[in-house]
Amino acid sequence: MSMQTQVEPNVVEGTKKDKSRFLKIIQSLLKSKTGFIGFFIVLTVVFVGVFANYLAPHDYAQTNVDNRLMPPFWMEGGSPEHILGTDNLGRDVLSRIIIGSRVSLLVGVSSVIVAGFIGLVLGLISGYYGKWIDQVIMRLVDSFLAIPNILFMLIFLAVIGPSLASIIIVLGFTTWVVYARMVRSETLSVKERDYVKSARAVGASDFIIIRRYILPNIISSFIVIATLNVATTIILESSLSFLGLGIQPPEVSWGLMLSDGRDYLATSWWVATFPGLAITITVLGIIFLGDWLRDVLDPKIK
Amino acid sequence: MRYFISNVIKIIPVLFLISLIVFILVRVTGDPVALMLPETATDQEREELREALGLNDPLYIQYFNYMKDVLRGDFGDSLRYNQPALGIVLERLPASFTLALSSMAVAVLLSVPAGIYSAIKRNTFSDLIITGASVLGKAMPNFWVGIMLILLFSVNLGIFPVSGSGTLAHLVLPSITLGTGIAAEMTRLIRSSMLEVLNSEYIRTARSKGLHEAFVINKHALRNALIPVVTIMALQTSTLIGGTLITETVFSWPGMGQLLVQAVNLRDMAVVQAATFIIAILVILSNLTADLVYRYLDPRIKYED
Amino acid sequence: MKFRWLVFAAIFFFFLTACNPDSSGEVSGNGSESGENELIIAAGSDMVTFDIHDHNNTSTEAIHVNMFNYLVKNDGEGGFVGDLATEWEIIDDQTWRFKLREDVKFHNGDPFTAEDVKFTLERVAKDNTLLEHGNYNQIAEVNVISDYEVEIVTHNPEPALLNRLSRLGSGMLPKNYIEENGWEHFLEQPVGTGPYKFSEWIKDDRVVLVPNENYFGEKPKWDRVVFRAIPEDSTRVSELLAGGVDIATNIPPDDWERIENDENLKLAKSPSQRVMLLVLRTADEYVTSDPRVREAIDLAIDKEAIVESLYNGAATPTRTRVTPGNVGANEKLYGTSLYDPDRARELLAEAGYPDGIEIQFDAPSGRYLKDKETAELIQSMLAEVGIKANLTFHEWSTFSEKYAEKSFGEMFMIAYGNSMFDAALALVRLKQAENVGETDYINDEVEELLQVAESNMNTEERIAQYQRVQEIIAEERPQIYLFQMDSVYGLKANINFEPRLDEMFYVDDITKN
Repeated sequence: MSMQTQVEPNVVEGTKKDKSRFLKIIQSLLKSKTGFIGFFIVLTVVFVGVFANYLAPHDYAQTNVDNRLMPPFWMEGGSPEHILGTDNLGRDVLSRIIIGSRVSLLVGVSSVIVAGFIGLVLGLISGYYGKWIDQVIMRLVDSFLAIPNILFMLIFLAVIGPSLASIIIVLGFTTWVVYARMVRSETLSVKERDYVKSARAVGASDFIIIRRYILPNIISSFIVIATLNVATTIILESSLSFLGLGIQPPEVSWGLMLSDGRDYLATSWWVATFPGLAITITVLGIIFLGDWLRDVLDPKIK
Repeated sequence: MRYFISNVIKIIPVLFLISLIVFILVRVTGDPVALMLPETATDQEREELREALGLNDPLYIQYFNYMKDVLRGDFGDSLRYNQPALGIVLERLPASFTLALSSMAVAVLLSVPAGIYSAIKRNTFSDLIITGASVLGKAMPNFWVGIMLILLFSVNLGIFPVSGSGTLAHLVLPSITLGTGIAAEMTRLIRSSMLEVLNSEYIRTARSKGLHEAFVINKHALRNALIPVVTIMALQTSTLIGGTLITETVFSWPGMGQLLVQAVNLRDMAVVQAATFIIAILVILSNLTADLVYRYLDPRIKYED
Repeated sequence: MKFRWLVFAAIFFFFLTACNPDSSGEVSGNGSESGENELIIAAGSDMVTFDIHDHNNTSTEAIHVNMFNYLVKNDGEGGFVGDLATEWEIIDDQTWRFKLREDVKFHNGDPFTAEDVKFTLERVAKDNTLLEHGNYNQIAEVNVISDYEVEIVTHNPEPALLNRLSRLGSGMLPKNYIEENGWEHFLEQPVGTGPYKFSEWIKDDRVVLVPNENYFGEKPKWDRVVFRAIPEDSTRVSELLAGGVDIATNIPPDDWERIENDENLKLAKSPSQRVMLLVLRTADEYVTSDPRVREAIDLAIDKEAIVESLYNGAATPTRTRVTPGNVGANEKLYGTSLYDPDRARELLAEAGYPDGIEIQFDAPSGRYLKDKETAELIQSMLAEVGIKANLTFHEWSTFSEKYAEKSFGEMFMIAYGNSMFDAALALVRLKQAENVGETDYINDEVEELLQVAESNMNTEERIAQYQRVQEIIAEERPQIYLFQMDSVYGLKANINFEPRLDEMFYVDDITKN
């Protein structure tokens, strides 16, 4: 897939090293075809998301029933006014995709932060302190693993009602398990290393040990998993929209557009196809980027 | 054996936690009465029904009563069907099982050859294509794939039935829809597991002895690379069952997935709980089985108990 | 090497299909076998239950009407025809007497008698856990006069009794069969008097009916009737296009062209009982307490445009919820709508809001055809005249919860049906006892008229009372009616089917060329 670059697993301080490390990363990015593509796609999407308000040619919510279901400009009946056509209420598809990128990214990134935080804390506690608390947390992990993500979210959202905030929280609450398991197992192995043992022997506090020795060892795997999970949550969000429990209008996300457009697939394909493409390309980019990051940062895991 | 027993014992608190999670999720704010009665019902009608269903009791009493019944296998009656929920869920199990199994077959058929091939041909053009395809498979939401397959194979080409169940032909499109999504993930996992084997000590030794590459791969690598496939398959059980929720809805497949989606929408709490339990047990059992099979196939592996 | 993989794969696949538990046993239900005369109808939801009293689902009733008979049938024009009853008379304000057909047998061979009527109606009238209880609890008791004669006694004068007896849940159940075998057995092997009897029900897939050769009426026409459940709109339409079903319900307007362009298919449309409306709060703390504001909202919304663009014309603007075909309908208010954005702006200014107002607007999404789009259009139309509507969508279960809690703000959108075909049900939510927290509407004249009409046995007077209420409501607008929705079916070209106002499928009225 991409070049495997050996990087020292332990972070070493010193600006010189940092610089060469940074250069190495850039070098490997340029060498890895997929990594570069992924990086480029993600950069573009983030750019679009951040500057969505300036980039969107039309008001994404402006309905115009006289212009509904207008095809993209290169087709008969299309107009350069609406490059990617209009949807069932006459809204500009391109503008909606641009604005929608904001919500999709927001949901993807924030829920990963929520999940990562929960997973990190519980994983550290579980791995570092062990004993009964480890047992409790691991049983909790097992319980979450036994319930399919989508089912858990479905029940949760049906109960508390779907909104941007609740979707982010629910996505976070269902996907933390991956991080917790990873963090726990890494913590377990680092904990037994000699330098940690000696640190403890000289009386370093738990907090110091975790901060100085354990976290730096976890961080690269953590970033890789988090990156890949942004892709997963974007897909999950669109599945939620299909089940009617995703982002609710007037807010717009790619998942919502795709799901709303599915009834027009046979008659006005552009309504669903473009947001679908946006999802696919973005997810593709994230996975490529994540895979490359994994090769660079963390050659241990495959 | 000790390992097995200690694992079985671990299931008990897990099931208890699941019951608690599900109970909390479903009962805390849900009011099924609002959904059961038509828009035109009066307040008095609502209150009467709420009382009759025991929904006015305090939460802990509801949970206590609920656990007492669950231990007897009684999840209460489905609000939608007015019949014991467990029976309704079990009735749907064969259909979902059929779909899950054939989807897994599709996934294995696609992912095992693809994963191994791309590992052997690492960093070649074929590897890139396979990797690209598997990422694509992951990047397309299930429902989208399903609808496209229907439009292409049923409406335009007329090869397979659109929806419903009954014949093997009905099974084809849903299995492909669900199977490809899982194949994508499995291909990636199998590829890395194969790579690991190819990089391992004994393969290198075999190579260094000057054995022919094809022989090395056939004789040594494949066998060892296939062992983790069992685990990889088991890991997908949860995703697979999750996928039935959407696939069954798209194809009107009469299984547990569609039942669950509708039960959630109608706040049919008894069915949601029963089905979640059954699913959890299935997932746990399949992981346990995979674990045992894995240990059996690969005696090198020792677990810390 | 590749070959070995192929063999491995093939063996694996056959292994899997071989242990597949259902692959061999289920092959029966496929549509297109032999030359038998089969009708396949696809609806958006599965039948709910065979407990005819414990659901309120029109598409379930649409199946049941083929298996069970009512005492009387609504002719859709405000009149009634006998079905299991041959004649009926009003003895006094609270007593009705029915004579029954004497040649009717249930599917299991038991004769149908007055005991069955008593059993059926008293069950639903007395058991308050049944969902239809509220529509039958007006019945106090049923007295068996002879084997084929019953008297129904109501608690109060009940002018709409025949309406109540000719709708959802009015089928007649076999008393002996149920008492001997238990209710559970009935639910699995239901038995009625109708032209078709139960064959199988695969939940969320299909209900299959077969003809009842001993039916007392005309001989059943179909050898097999299959009601399929296909919840996904696009799948249902695809199934119709692929030729898998004869009739499909609820075809989304944007698919009409595809169906009409297909020479093997056609569309059939009919008005339905469902009316989309806005419910406004009239209590003092809301801006909508001012009738001028409510009028402005009404005038700001171009119902014709919504009907044309979103529903492709398959809806009828209306200013009343009691549409034609219902007892008490005020036809003057039907088929018309008001739209005058300039006047709306003026009204707002007169009410003291020259700079516009802001209101909360709640709507369900995914419950009714085009509900989401309708609400979004209304929002932008209101914005044109200076009303900023903060639109919040709720998926149906959340919406109905909030609806039951009565926790909406100034305005919400909903579509009401009416299986009773009577103004009483259509207007009951405007009574003060019902409307607290919903419209908070207080108008003594309306209240008085509704109270009196409810038990007024003089039909003409009663109709006039209800018509008056509708006029007042159209003027004062605690509810703003938008349009009556059509039901739209897709059919194979060789199927003859007249859609009904009540959305029932009497399959013997459907024929194939």
